[in-house]
Amino acid sequence: MATPAINPIPDCHITMVFGLLDLLEDRGGRDDGYKIARDLTVNFSDLLKAMKAAEILGFVSTPSGDVVLEPAGKAFLDAKINERKLMVRERLKQLSLFNYLLRLLHAQEDHSLTKEVILEHLAMLLPNEKPERQFSTVINWGRFAELFGYNKDQDRFYIDHE
Amino acid sequence: MPLLEIKHVCKSFPHATGTLKVLEDISFDISQGEFVAIVGPSGCGKSTLLRIINGIVPMTSGQVLYKGRQVDGINLETALVFQSFALMPWLSVKANVELGLEAQGLPPAEREKRASVYIDKVGLDGFEEAYPRELSGGMKQRVGFARALAVEPQVLLMDEPFSALDALTAITLREEMLDIWQSPDMPVHNIIMVTHIIEEAVELADRIIVLASGPGRLVADLKVDLPRPRDRRAETFNAWTDKVFSLIEERG
Repeated sequence: MATPAINPIPDCHITMVFGLLDLLEDRGGRDDGYKIARDLTVNFSDLLKAMKAAEILGFVSTPSGDVVLEPAGKAFLDAKINERKLMVRERLKQLSLFNYLLRLLHAQEDHSLTKEVILEHLAMLLPNEKPERQFSTVINWGRFAELFGYNKDQDRFYIDHE
Repeated sequence: MPLLEIKHVCKSFPHATGTLKVLEDISFDISQGEFVAIVGPSGCGKSTLLRIINGIVPMTSGQVLYKGRQVDGINLETALVFQSFALMPWLSVKANVELGLEAQGLPPAEREKRASVYIDKVGLDGFEEAYPRELSGGMKQRVGFARALAVEPQVLLMDEPFSALDALTAITLREEMLDIWQSPDMPVHNIIMVTHIIEEAVELADRIIVLASGPGRLVADLKVDLPRPRDRRAETFNAWTDKVFSLIEERG
């Protein structure tokens, strides 16, 4: 069975995505990306990453430089914290990279692997990305969603909840 | 009776050429349930004032009364949140949150229970075993909030809590902070926040205390009557930031 293409994820902390959603709601659900970056004096490339991250999580769309809050993004803003985590977890499971890592962990007896092994997989799957960065973003999103955990002392990357 | 009474507080530090006056005759009251912002130029002693209210820094003269009583040493009904997060790098998120509870003498089982309640409230579930260096700034400050909230204080004292964060992360954390303050099942009902960002004060606070520098003294005590949630793009919001800004400009 061929492995489907794995897409990288933008190295953006998940909290920035939520900030973008809050901001869009305050601005009537739609604004120009360039204008947001200017108003907030955030680096435009950082804002692009947050836009891209929000888009692959299904919370916004980005037609021609604008950012538009989608119904899933609105539902996220209306939800309480544990519901929010569940929404992100369900979405992450659909993303090729997270789906691949889930299958990989499932194939292990104790459903865990060391960071070194994960970095090797990332390097192989995404030769154009920095594996350390992809790993730390996977951990950041995965921990928020309580999908993945990582214990540094035991060097153990594992499935938290599914 | 006001919750807190700050009465004629003065603070001087010894200095090479004598003494340096940092705060001069600061007086104001804080009522139950208020969110108060203290703003002013750098060097106006606003952070020192916050620490005097907490009791971690002694005042030179004056009084701070909590529910009508003078508190000796640190007021355990208050807890501080720092700009720098002030986390122990060698401790996990969970251990950092439990730290303040250990100092209160809570037994280990109780500490663990209390910590997990507040880890959940600030959205840190899933990060319990992470170390600070593995965390983004936003997550670090959530640990700072959880650690302060876990001691179940009546008053949260925040020193530039959002200043070390990028703009998008700060938006999220400000929203979360307001939710915590407005939530009836949280023990914290009062917040005193020091900030140099005027928009932040106008967006969040019921009242703004304006200090001038050299030495720090109170120049205005303003009640912010804008309805919540506040819209940063509204005309009335702009009028407020202009007003506060001009007070600081004139006297700073």
